[in-house]
Amino acid sequence: MNQPSPNLSMQPLPMDNQFRYTDEELIARFQEGDEQAYVELVNRYRDRLMTFVFRFVNDMEQAEDIVQDALLKLYTHKHYYKNIAKFSTWMYTIAGNLAKTELRKKKSHKTTNLSQMGPEDRDYELPAVEPDTDEVAQSEYIEKKIQAAIQQLPLHFRTVTILRDIQELSYEEISKIVDVPLGTVKSRINRARLQLQKDLKDLK
Amino acid sequence: MDRYQFEDAISAYLDNELNLSDRQAFESFMNANPDAKALVNDIRATMKAIKGMPKVKAPSTFMPNLYKRIEFEKNRPSKKNIEKPSRTLFGFTPLYAGVMTVLIASFITVGVNLWPDTNPSGQQIPAFTGNVTNPPSSPAGVPNSNPAPTFVSNEAVADTADTTVAKKKKFQLNDKVQFVKDQR
Repeated sequence: MNQPSPNLSMQPLPMDNQFRYTDEELIARFQEGDEQAYVELVNRYRDRLMTFVFRFVNDMEQAEDIVQDALLKLYTHKHYYKNIAKFSTWMYTIAGNLAKTELRKKKSHKTTNLSQMGPEDRDYELPAVEPDTDEVAQSEYIEKKIQAAIQQLPLHFRTVTILRDIQELSYEEISKIVDVPLGTVKSRINRARLQLQKDLKDLK
Repeated sequence: MDRYQFEDAISAYLDNELNLSDRQAFESFMNANPDAKALVNDIRATMKAIKGMPKVKAPSTFMPNLYKRIEFEKNRPSKKNIEKPSRTLFGFTPLYAGVMTVLIASFITVGVNLWPDTNPSGQQIPAFTGNVTNPPSSPAGVPNSNPAPTFVSNEAVADTADTTVAKKKKFQLNDKVQFVKDQR
């Protein structure tokens, strides 16, 4: 038997509603059947998750698929969310797990790309974009260099770095998302930053 | 603070996670070592560059594609609906019904065999576990006036066993019978 037709419109909730409800209130409303609450959650998290996943997998199409999978899971598994954790923690956990699964699949295909080269291949990891006098080209060059350096990090360092330095989440929230103790998170962030500083020394 | 402790504390320092005394120790080490100060500045600049990276925006096709996928999920027949209904026997699966039948039959068989026998009046006859001793014949061949065998329970035998062997030997057969009678 088919479920009743959804009332999914691409229009977000009215402006006053957007700021009236927290994420946790929206998911509670969605669990009770309010599909507009789902639309509002998607609008709030779509770009945040895109940034997180794209920085993680370094592939726009793949990132889009993963974020759609995560938001589809939110739709089909809405009752799995229990109001004991922050909604954002739950959402990042889903997206992070899907991204890791995709990377493992990709790795098993044994396709060689820049992110999988060993340290001996570091000379070739730099993107083939030469610095330009143009400001836009310069910033693109820097972005690609940073992105390449992030891809060089081991997965568990990469996750915490993106969550901390790009998504600006707290140590406590990162600890819950990656499910490791707080001390381990701090240590991983520190080591990841030291590694990035070494790799990006010539950016100065 | 040594170099290792200093490097371990860089992120905590930059994220304002150190307590006052640790912060002071960190800063005094940093001010005493120019290369340590340069390292902290480099990491701070790297963090700033990472934070300054542009945010990624979902493409314009993102939402329509997501809604299409949601519609597809909703209209997809669930696994539950396409599962073949299993055969049942009075509401039970054949395996379950078979196992239950065997168990019930075994229970009845064992129960019947273990059920105690009863006499016609319905009273239970206790099992006798003692010895049957024939009454002793008289020494002169005179028939005994009470020919019925005497039932001596194991307890009585155990009582008699308490007496010493020497005493037992002194008893004549008639004495023993008399002794049993006295016990009664």
